[in-house]
Amino acid sequence: MSDLRTRLEEARAEGLAKIETAGDLASLDEARVRTLGRKAQLSQVRSGLGKVDEDERKEIGKLANDVQQQLEEALRAKRELFEAAELEQRWERERVDVTLPGRVPPLGTIHPLTKTIWEIVDIFIGLGYVMAEGPEVELSLYNFDAINTPADHPARSAQDTFYIEGTDEAVCLRTQTSPMQMRIMERQSPPVYVVVPGRVYRRDELDATHLSSFSQLEGLAVDEGITMGDLKGSLSAFARSVFGNDLEVRLRPHYFPFTEPSAEMDVECFVCRGSGVSCRLCKGEGWIEVLGCGMVHPALFEWVGYDPERYSGFAFGMGIERIAALAHGVSDIRHFYDNDLRFLTQFRGSA
Amino acid sequence: MKVPLRWLEEFVSLDVSVEKLVELLDLSGTKVEAVTKPSGAIAGVVVAQVLEIVPHPDADNLTLVDVTTGDGEPQRVVCGARNFAAGQRVPLAQVGARLPQMEIGERKIRGEVSRGMLCSSAELGLSSDHSGILVLPDDSGLGVDIVSLLGLDDTILDLEITPNRPDCMSILGVAREVSALLSNELKRAPIELETDPELSSPVRVEITAPDGCPRYLARYVEGVEVRPSPAWMTARLLSVGVRPISNVVDVTNYVLFELGHPLHAFDAATLPDQQIVVRRAKTRERITTLDGHERLLHPDDLLISGKKKPLAIAGVMGGSDSEVGPHTRNVIIESAYFHPTSIAFTSRRHGLRTEASARFERGADPEIVDTAAARAAALMQRFAGGRVAAEITDVYPAPTPRNEITLRTARAGQVLGTSLASERQAAYLRALEMGVTQADGVLQVEVPSFRHDLRREIDLIEEVGRLAGFDSLPATLPPGRTGRLERDQAIERSLRRLLADLGLFEAWTGSFMSEADLERLGVTADQPAAKMVRLANPMSEDEPAMRTSLLPGLLRAVALNERQRARGVALFELARVYEPTVEQLPHEALIVAGVMSGPRRRGTWIGSERAWDFFDGKGLVQVVFSALGLPEPSFSPVQGRPFHPTRAAAVAHLDVTVGAVGELHPKVLAGWDIERASIAFELALGPLLAALPAKKKVEELPRFPSNLIDVAIVVERDVPARAAERVIRDAGAPELAEVDLFDVYEGDQVGPGKKSLAFALELRAVERSLPDAEATAVRDRIVAALTEQLGAELRG
Ligand SMILES: [Zn+2]
Repeated sequence: MSDLRTRLEEARAEGLAKIETAGDLASLDEARVRTLGRKAQLSQVRSGLGKVDEDERKEIGKLANDVQQQLEEALRAKRELFEAAELEQRWERERVDVTLPGRVPPLGTIHPLTKTIWEIVDIFIGLGYVMAEGPEVELSLYNFDAINTPADHPARSAQDTFYIEGTDEAVCLRTQTSPMQMRIMERQSPPVYVVVPGRVYRRDELDATHLSSFSQLEGLAVDEGITMGDLKGSLSAFARSVFGNDLEVRLRPHYFPFTEPSAEMDVECFVCRGSGVSCRLCKGEGWIEVLGCGMVHPALFEWVGYDPERYSGFAFGMGIERIAALAHGVSDIRHFYDNDLRFLTQFRGSA
Repeated sequence: MKVPLRWLEEFVSLDVSVEKLVELLDLSGTKVEAVTKPSGAIAGVVVAQVLEIVPHPDADNLTLVDVTTGDGEPQRVVCGARNFAAGQRVPLAQVGARLPQMEIGERKIRGEVSRGMLCSSAELGLSSDHSGILVLPDDSGLGVDIVSLLGLDDTILDLEITPNRPDCMSILGVAREVSALLSNELKRAPIELETDPELSSPVRVEITAPDGCPRYLARYVEGVEVRPSPAWMTARLLSVGVRPISNVVDVTNYVLFELGHPLHAFDAATLPDQQIVVRRAKTRERITTLDGHERLLHPDDLLISGKKKPLAIAGVMGGSDSEVGPHTRNVIIESAYFHPTSIAFTSRRHGLRTEASARFERGADPEIVDTAAARAAALMQRFAGGRVAAEITDVYPAPTPRNEITLRTARAGQVLGTSLASERQAAYLRALEMGVTQADGVLQVEVPSFRHDLRREIDLIEEVGRLAGFDSLPATLPPGRTGRLERDQAIERSLRRLLADLGLFEAWTGSFMSEADLERLGVTADQPAAKMVRLANPMSEDEPAMRTSLLPGLLRAVALNERQRARGVALFELARVYEPTVEQLPHEALIVAGVMSGPRRRGTWIGSERAWDFFDGKGLVQVVFSALGLPEPSFSPVQGRPFHPTRAAAVAHLDVTVGAVGELHPKVLAGWDIERASIAFELALGPLLAALPAKKKVEELPRFPSNLIDVAIVVERDVPARAAERVIRDAGAPELAEVDLFDVYEGDQVGPGKKSLAFALELRAVERSLPDAEATAVRDRIVAALTEQLGAELRG
């Protein structure tokens, strides 16, 4: 019996030595076959156990298990060592210089004027408005008469307004988005909550703040019981949202033929914060004009057949180029129409 | 409108700081555009008398002027102007003086020492008038500081007056606003005029165009002496931007600015029989106006005329023949009320805007006509002497009635969103000189004759609102509705984002276009794009019509970027084109277009440079359709500009052409000076948006995997790939789920005139997996059809 024990101890010692001396995964594999394979000492001892009496078989069997466990553990440890080393080599082989340039998919931009329109439209959608668009080539009837423009108003002259050939000034390029107020009210009854972005045209000489074709955004809210306080609340919310929530906003009485009372909205200068002195943006006034607005003139309601005693509303209009220029510090609005990539690229992200 | 505060204070006391006054005006609708104090920039300029003027020995255009400031030695200055004479008084900037644009030192001019400088009103910063030295009135004290003499230490407000408020185009009008804002009384000094009951006015007035001239008043002043105005009047006129001329003319201007009513002074001697006719011009009638221009009159122009010859263009500008000059002795003062429309059209027709026309065309005050004439007569009497006839010629056959408006004070509260007591509302309106009677929450308001803008209740509500202050209104939000973008609006947005994410830069280009653009695009007269909506009054030859294509604008932008050495340029625009219709208004069609030029991908350490090519353009069009959820469009070869003859395709959705894509013709590129090959596409969005399906329901996912099989065939070179694909689809149904052309080969292996096409087929059976044998059968079926229909051979 001691013979079997001796053989097991030999198997242990030999096995451990083989595992220890294995230099690579292949020789480790060979060591595994030699120590744990069917022909190995350990297996042979086990297969001879049947001839041993019961008490001893238990004891020898326990020893065999112990030897097997120890050899397996040694093999596993050695294998992990080899695998780790192999991976180490692989990582080294596969190393890249992460500072080399990436394979960048081409990426364009949305135009800043589009972005500005989206931003403004989204604010009003949040306040419960929908968006509409209207014709740029418009009837003078809508562009002027319907919105209360006097027959002799200078804006109607062919010096200021583009007219379409052969129409005897009955068709013009709209000079404002306001005619859409009338088109919308004509085709639907109140309530109306709508914003209208779009191109407008005026025969202005080109300079850093004037273009003969530019963009406006018009807004109109008509419902029962709309007040000037609603105008103030809505447009203050808008202006703060665009220019800064901590800025002061004020309404200054003004004149437009299609609103009464009329006002312009100023936002506290976000460069000098109203301190004014030698500020180039607000020219020392401390305020920046951002839009024109007012309560819809009853004459407009009468034109479309709304009862001005029952309904009231407010309208507003703003220049997209101006808002975009203010928001991004663009000094010359002609840049918006040059489409110079060096300019456009700067509007990536939320800029 | 410039308002010097000291002048304003003659009409209302200003017991607040300038800052507060500016804020009150701003917030009541009279915006202050600038606050200036001319004196800040001026020091060391005093009144001097001219003693002698001698020629400069070395320069014909210069003179040497000896002046005295009253004490000490005479000083000699070199001067370039010649509009003054010995004995007259002028501003002298002494050595060490400071002017808005310069500092004065002793210097030599062409060899002569100049101890100081004589100043023009421009050099004093009073106006842009550089035409000569400012000649001061003879009563200006020698040595007196010019700042105090001309009141240059006053503060001047520059006000923006909105077109509905011509009544604010005067010191009186602004004072009225300020009086209401400060609750300080409006002061009106009585007019001190001594008329001569013995002197009868010879003036007779006849109005033959009463629609243009409802009222005409004339006063007669005899025996005036024309000379410079006193210093204070000169200074005030300069401070509001008017050049002083002579006492008689200056008085009419002074009253214009003070009371807001334009006046005119005629030399009575130029009207032989003292007969004034207010009439429309005759055909081809001409007048030479005060500015020296001879003007051909229009039959709608209103004239002030003598028996035959016109004297003035009514309410716009006087004629040079009847001008008051140095020798004028007797003066007719005209104070009239002209109809706004008539003046507006005349002023615009002749491109002639004057202080008078600006007030008449917006609406003057018909009731101030007599006061203004009396004020002018009184000032003329004081500063030019003469006797003023007591008799007044005042033709006012149909006095303009004052407007009466009812204001429901509760309605004002409803509109403004805040309740204001009736008493308070009445007080605001009375402060603006309206007549108000109050009963039961209703105000009966009589509108003064100078407020043409007040016509109905809402106009009074605005007056109440602006005096209460918009800052006193609550800030509330209306209920709103369900705010959202409509489907097409949302799709338009995602399309812009898609193209930007695919590497294109969104462009905004102008809406105009020209024949030259069409010609450079190669558009022929029979093509729809040749029919443009034309402007009657374009700004320039380059922009005579509305665009029918987005390409010219994009090509201009590509050229600009190429000049800036941009490596690759890829632009798109989503905007309208304008197509004439039989209706009054054109059709405005939404188009998405792109131009891609130069390298699409720059050469890098990983890969080589690749230029934009036809298939990039086509791929963009395909991805647009795919993103919209539309089936793959069909592409068929298209000829004709702007495209390369063999590298362009018409794009069709369900057999309707919706656009095109292709390489641009080299001649087109040359037309815009673009050097690099460029790809363009243009798609009409209208038909695509109209074709979009309603919300889709999903299909059940296949429960069994599909079989993937490749087929490679050899066909004649001119067989379009699309034809082979169609045969495969027809023959492969119903098991064929997908076809992908993955390889095209021409060369030795297939022989001349041939090409090989390799397709990947995805086969699938419904509700079961497709056995290999069946898959092979489908493949054989497809190959047989290809052979039969296209003469294809299976490639080994
Ligand atoms: Zn500022």
